Amino acid sequence: MTERKSPTAVLREGPRALSDEQVREIEEADLKGVLDVDIDDVIEYVHKDLKSLPDFTTLYRKYLKQRWDVYDLDFTQDKIDWTERMTEAERHSFLAIASGFHHGERQVEIELPVFMIGASEEEKLHIAAQIEDEARHTVFFDRFYREVVGLQGADIMDILDASFPWVAETFVGPFGLLAYQADEVRKNPYDERARVRYGTTYFLWIEGVLALSVMKVTLSYARWRGFLPAYYTGFTATCRDESRHVQGGMKYLQDAVRKDPSMVNEIHETLRTILTLAGVASREVVYEPLGWSQDEVKMLFNQQLRRKLNDVGISLPPDLLAMVGAVQPVLAGG
Amino acid sequence: MRTVTEQGFFSPQWAAAVRDALAAGPSEQERDGKLPMYWDFFDKVKAGYASSWALGCRDLPAGTDAGPAFLHVQWGGGTVTDCYIAGPAERQATYVLAMDYADWQALHGGYDPQRTVMYRKILVEDGNVLEFFKGIYFFTECLGVIGKVPADFTALAAH
Repeated sequence: MTERKSPTAVLREGPRALSDEQVREIEEADLKGVLDVDIDDVIEYVHKDLKSLPDFTTLYRKYLKQRWDVYDLDFTQDKIDWTERMTEAERHSFLAIASGFHHGERQVEIELPVFMIGASEEEKLHIAAQIEDEARHTVFFDRFYREVVGLQGADIMDILDASFPWVAETFVGPFGLLAYQADEVRKNPYDERARVRYGTTYFLWIEGVLALSVMKVTLSYARWRGFLPAYYTGFTATCRDESRHVQGGMKYLQDAVRKDPSMVNEIHETLRTILTLAGVASREVVYEPLGWSQDEVKMLFNQQLRRKLNDVGISLPPDLLAMVGAVQPVLAGG
Repeated sequence: MRTVTEQGFFSPQWAAAVRDALAAGPSEQERDGKLPMYWDFFDKVKAGYASSWALGCRDLPAGTDAGPAFLHVQWGGGTVTDCYIAGPAERQATYVLAMDYADWQALHGGYDPQRTVMYRKILVEDGNVLEFFKGIYFFTECLGVIGKVPADFTALAAH
């Protein structure tokens, strides 16, 4: 971690072009090597293949090569940074943002299995891999909250209970919706319209917009300050995993719309609900200690949403475009 | 006006206390903990809400006076226009939701309403999920209000 650029510099740089060497570095880095990868490059890597989405078997093969062991991370230096080098304001802002991800990872892990039932055989491989990814990410946050933040508990749910007070009331918007849409899919696993609505919430909004935004805010802070190396390593590796999830999810939505163009209505209706909820915040999160302002986080959200929609070829009607402009950051992900 | 007397859970008296509590809305203490923008949204949804909820208890112990299955809540004009206990035959509502008796008890014991939704302890059994979720912050706050209405579970526990 030698670079010390501003966390928000990329907002003004615009989309970056990755060289073949940079792509190879991201794709092939082992866990130790991930520490040297720039998070902005990984987020760009997420978008790299959105225009020509890889098939599910290719994504599964990438998973087999990129899988990492969450128990290989050593949080010793992170604990020192957390207790001795970070300010109270930095810790507070960090938890206000990261706790949504702590809970989000658990949610996307448990809501995914039902989606596998109606998937093609190749997509089932990809979803099975994604479930394992999400389980590993859940353990990653469990370890971070225990070993760095210092929460105590007998099991994973104890730690989730302990971090829940940092989660905003608006979290129930996207993640409650996902739970109820998962239940619709559970009841009718081959209902393609229900699957598209579910996929819009899960893959487009939660993973494509919320998750990447939270990753960017906390990881660019850690890189900028030179803090929390195990968090940076594990969460950047998580972001690399997310690239497969977002690409797989966007491929699913793109294929569904190509097969039946009226499916775009399901995407729009789902976004109409999500954006209605996304225009509201229940708590004030202070981003400045992490190098961000509220407006910059909003800009990041908008960039993430517009890039996904543009890359996948989904346009929005005027009322939804107007709602995008009113989005309040919900700092969560999965 | 809130009652301080514990009414039997899912009794007509309890439903009346729920009606009063929902009409009054979350306490000032609750409101102080969240941004005005959030409560503006809540108030806007409440003012225009014309839907009804049938909030069921799937496994209510048998032998209660009313033999109930659903708490029926009708909204209109910014308040609760009707709130009563209904049997299984009267589950018609814009949104039919249900949860287990143990989860109702947990809600009254202080379990978080947000997680009650998120962990699928309460689920939409009938109704348009996307439309229901446009008012989800309103719903979870109301669930919290219902959970704070004193309820006596001892009569049911005896069965």
